[in-house]
Amino acid sequence: MVRSYHPETLEEALEIRSKTRCIPYAGGTDLMVRYRRGPGLVPGFDLPVMFIGQLPEITQIHEKNGEFSIGTCVPYSDIVRHRHSPEILRQACSLIGAPAIQNLGTMGGNICNASPAGDTLPVLAVLDASLTLQSVSGEREVSLLSFFKGPGKTLLRNDELLTCIHFRLPHFSAEGYRKIGTRKANALSKIAFAGFLLKEKGLLSDVRIALGAVAPTIVRSRELENRLIGQPVSDIAELMPDLLNSYAKLIQPITDQRSDANYRKTVSLRLIENFVLKEES
Amino acid sequence: MNETIQFELNGENVSIKTSPMRRLIDVLRDDFSATCVKEGCGEGECGACSIFLNGKLANSCLVAVGSIKGMSVETVAHFQTTPAYRVIEQAFSDAGSVQCGFCTPGMVLAAYALLKENVDPDETDIREAISGNLCRCTGYNMIVDGVKLAAKRGNGKW
Amino acid sequence: MKNTISTPVDRLDGPEKASGRALYIDDIRPDGMLYARTLRADRPRARITDIRFPEIPDGYFIVDRNDVPSHNRIKMLEDDWPFFAEEVINHVGEPILLVVGPDREKVDSILRAIEVIYADLPPVLTIEDSLASEKPIFGDDNCFATYQFQKGDPDSTFKQSKTIIKGEFRTGYHEQAYMEPQGLIGTYTDGKLTVTGSMQCPYYVKNAMLHLTGFPEDQVQIVQTTTGGAFGGKEEYPSLLAGHVAVAAIKTGKPVKLILERGEDLAVTTKRHPSVSRYRSAVDENGRVIAMEADITLDGGAYAGLSAVVLQRALFAAIGVYNIPNVTVRGRVMATNQVPSGAFRGFGAPQAFFAVEMHMEQIASELGMNPLTFKEIHLVKQGDRTATNSVFRDRTRIREMLSRVLKMSGYRKKEGVFASHKGRFRSGIGLGIYLHGCGFTGKGEDTIQGTATIRKLAADRAEILVSNVEMGQGAQTTLRKIVATTLDLPVQNIEYPNPDTDLVPNSGPTVASRTTIIVGHLLESAAKELKARWDESETFSVSKSYRHPSYIEWDQETLQGDAYPAYSWGVVAVEVEVDTLVYETVVKRVWAVHDVGVAIDEEIIRGQVEGGILQALGYASIEVMETGNGAYLQHNFTDYIIPTAVDAPVIVSELMDNPYEYGPFGAKCAGELPIAGAAAAYAAAVSHALDIPIHEIPVKPETLIKGLKQ
Repeated sequence: MVRSYHPETLEEALEIRSKTRCIPYAGGTDLMVRYRRGPGLVPGFDLPVMFIGQLPEITQIHEKNGEFSIGTCVPYSDIVRHRHSPEILRQACSLIGAPAIQNLGTMGGNICNASPAGDTLPVLAVLDASLTLQSVSGEREVSLLSFFKGPGKTLLRNDELLTCIHFRLPHFSAEGYRKIGTRKANALSKIAFAGFLLKEKGLLSDVRIALGAVAPTIVRSRELENRLIGQPVSDIAELMPDLLNSYAKLIQPITDQRSDANYRKTVSLRLIENFVLKEES
Repeated sequence: MNETIQFELNGENVSIKTSPMRRLIDVLRDDFSATCVKEGCGEGECGACSIFLNGKLANSCLVAVGSIKGMSVETVAHFQTTPAYRVIEQAFSDAGSVQCGFCTPGMVLAAYALLKENVDPDETDIREAISGNLCRCTGYNMIVDGVKLAAKRGNGKW
Repeated sequence: MKNTISTPVDRLDGPEKASGRALYIDDIRPDGMLYARTLRADRPRARITDIRFPEIPDGYFIVDRNDVPSHNRIKMLEDDWPFFAEEVINHVGEPILLVVGPDREKVDSILRAIEVIYADLPPVLTIEDSLASEKPIFGDDNCFATYQFQKGDPDSTFKQSKTIIKGEFRTGYHEQAYMEPQGLIGTYTDGKLTVTGSMQCPYYVKNAMLHLTGFPEDQVQIVQTTTGGAFGGKEEYPSLLAGHVAVAAIKTGKPVKLILERGEDLAVTTKRHPSVSRYRSAVDENGRVIAMEADITLDGGAYAGLSAVVLQRALFAAIGVYNIPNVTVRGRVMATNQVPSGAFRGFGAPQAFFAVEMHMEQIASELGMNPLTFKEIHLVKQGDRTATNSVFRDRTRIREMLSRVLKMSGYRKKEGVFASHKGRFRSGIGLGIYLHGCGFTGKGEDTIQGTATIRKLAADRAEILVSNVEMGQGAQTTLRKIVATTLDLPVQNIEYPNPDTDLVPNSGPTVASRTTIIVGHLLESAAKELKARWDESETFSVSKSYRHPSYIEWDQETLQGDAYPAYSWGVVAVEVEVDTLVYETVVKRVWAVHDVGVAIDEEIIRGQVEGGILQALGYASIEVMETGNGAYLQHNFTDYIIPTAVDAPVIVSELMDNPYEYGPFGAKCAGELPIAGAAAAYAAAVSHALDIPIHEIPVKPETLIKGLKQ
């Protein structure tokens, strides 16, 4: 049986983190499934648990001068409701689980869980989100994409907490989000696609593409995006075949009880192509 | 290690000494005899274990009791004493929304959670609001009809 | 509009269910109760060479085959299915023993500390392997049952035919997914065994417990509790669980509760039999099918269970609603080391209807004919001979029903419009035309000899005493309406307690769509007599037992004659839209017309229609259940996907009255009918949308995308 910690401030929480290896518990919707043992049995947490879901410092959403920051323990339902939430993020959050899950689940939990199929991750990737990691010794910023080392593995140190996710509010001419789930609601992703396009004066001045659930971590490549950036829109179609071949090398999907590698790869490439050429998702 | 955890259950302050990681569904069913909260899956998919946590719909099978210190929990056993419940129950009855009944308490709470926020929901709103409540008997349409009827009769007073 | 029996009434069990007050088995906690957990085989076939136990503390028990009082066999059609594994385990999840005790944490830790030593044996994991097997795992040839029957002269007809069209059709596992997991409580007091819980067939459980224990009849009592859905999944399986709690209660002397956790329920209980059907049809120069041969193989899993009867129903449905003069139907259900297959709404008919409906689509396509027109010209009519050589003796309104569905759905116009779609989104509309035989096959009802009793309780009250259960389908309402209307009393004045075998006669199981047509009819008859004699006494009972109508002739050896006393009919149209970018399919709308004779309650029938259709749509699309080395790969609700309210389409449904002379108030059957045809309608719709043949369900995007024309 494990003990738990109930810090009342972020400072307290960081203090505990600096002294004890523990599992930060935000909404619990992933943890309580991962550690469950069955009816009437206490979930099998193997480390002390620190409840951080109610800490005032990390349950706020702020928008200022186009910079949007979401506290790590803001429930999805609050993100969906916030008037400055970008549409693409609203869409992704409202497709996570179902209302009861959205009332508890948090983006911070989704990020730190680092599942390849994490629903918010491709969206945060194309938003160029960065993460604030805090500890008693200070604070650091890391880009979302660099945060993941592999399935379930992140850069978060044992003495750190993810406290804030922030990004600049997007201004693009087109955005796309598509979650291919096992059913239309309350589903895990087989594939998740997020994309932004900016077309100005006949040129593709920016493009961002990210895919989830098709590789150990989020697939996003600025290098590949740069092949399109600055190109005349009319030339894009010609560049697609080579580009898709390159994306194909980054997409390393698995076959599991939900879908197979062929479907995941084929559909990922089709989603990319369709979005870039037709701005549809 | 057992901890003393205090929270509000159906309007009353309660206190238990237990492992903080125990699932709220087990605390409610075993310690408080709240058999109105049902276990259909234990993984947050079916919604049979629905409760209101600080007034918001939540799956009690996914809530560690240690995480709810000072929060309020309401089960359908308490909600059923309210006028809002009676509107929903009668609407469900008139619309044929109940068959085996196992999903129904969860559907009732999900319906109320919707109507509190949206007094005139359309079909899509209703289906999304109950998307976390699985039903195997009805095919859902008669439940959707029940919620529509409740919305009409509730007249915005939720 | 005058109220008739069909006019809906408020379900009497609604308020207690909606409020959470209704007590399901897991809500019941007798004093001194012990919890049981099951240790199960983790592989498909092996000899158990040793079991190593940790120290078992006082008050905790191991319960296994050695504790079985009389027979370690579940009383069913064969004598092969043990309550507890013996020397050899034959499927993943097979129960080996129970750990029983007062604290669930301790029970869990004991369970995890038990080590089973196995010597692996080669498992048979597919139908093909079972058919080919040189070392059978059941009998001489791995065959639980095989049947064959013919009508006309199919052999000569095929020989003389120039046009023969062949097709192979497959269906997968399908899980009932009742929302209330299976569970029972067993108690043993003063030599009497009582088993209480979630079940469809109290007397099946009683007979199984009598065989297990050897106790006298009056020392075994079975009580049904409010049951949260069943759909056939709680037809035979509870007998196995009952044996577990019974032996445990007898051994420990305390009440023992066994509730399956959802993952366990998904992993080890019975599912719909997977099928492989091979059809062959001879077509004449006018485009008419003059001979059809249907060959259906089912995967029965490790133990025989009810497989023989499932096969029978599949075979009797194999020619569907079509009038084919020369017919051969044959089939077999094979033993494999997969989890045993069992009853699920439809009971073999959904597999057969998928095959025959898609075969008719196939023939039409190969002949260049419109599938609707093609099906229409073959539809049976009253007086035509059935596949088992009797006659469709009662009126069928199938052509009117088809017309009505075509009109409701705008089928013909859509067919044309959709065919011209060239873009990313392709629409399709498909039809399913089907029937369901009411009640047990052939002589089944005669074998059960069901008895229903009504007891007058007071001047204005009466009580229904039957062993049929309310499991969501509305029996509590429909049977009360039948009795109330006949006695001219308010529905609320008719009591209908959950069956307790100490108190109710054996009116038969709640299966085979028999509750209304057979038991309801007995109750109607009993009520009529009760009413005529009402003033005789303050309280007295009238019982009626099934009398086999003389006009129903059936030979169980040759499988010839009236397979069923009556048929209910259905037509369904399903419209889909396929996003050909990603091969996801949305069901846009469904239209259906059903003939259930007369609806005892229109709202309850609507509930059956919509629930059954959605289950069929799931069967055809997202309810994927595959196995790997004998274990289900989808074994939790995250991975076994049933439709949510967002997935569910609006279903526009109507009934067409067609009163049946021998049904209560003209009613026939309705419970299983709606699940028979919508899977084929869905597959046909997708097939039309994409202009590709579909011969297998579930239709997965992963499969559709492989067929991409580049």
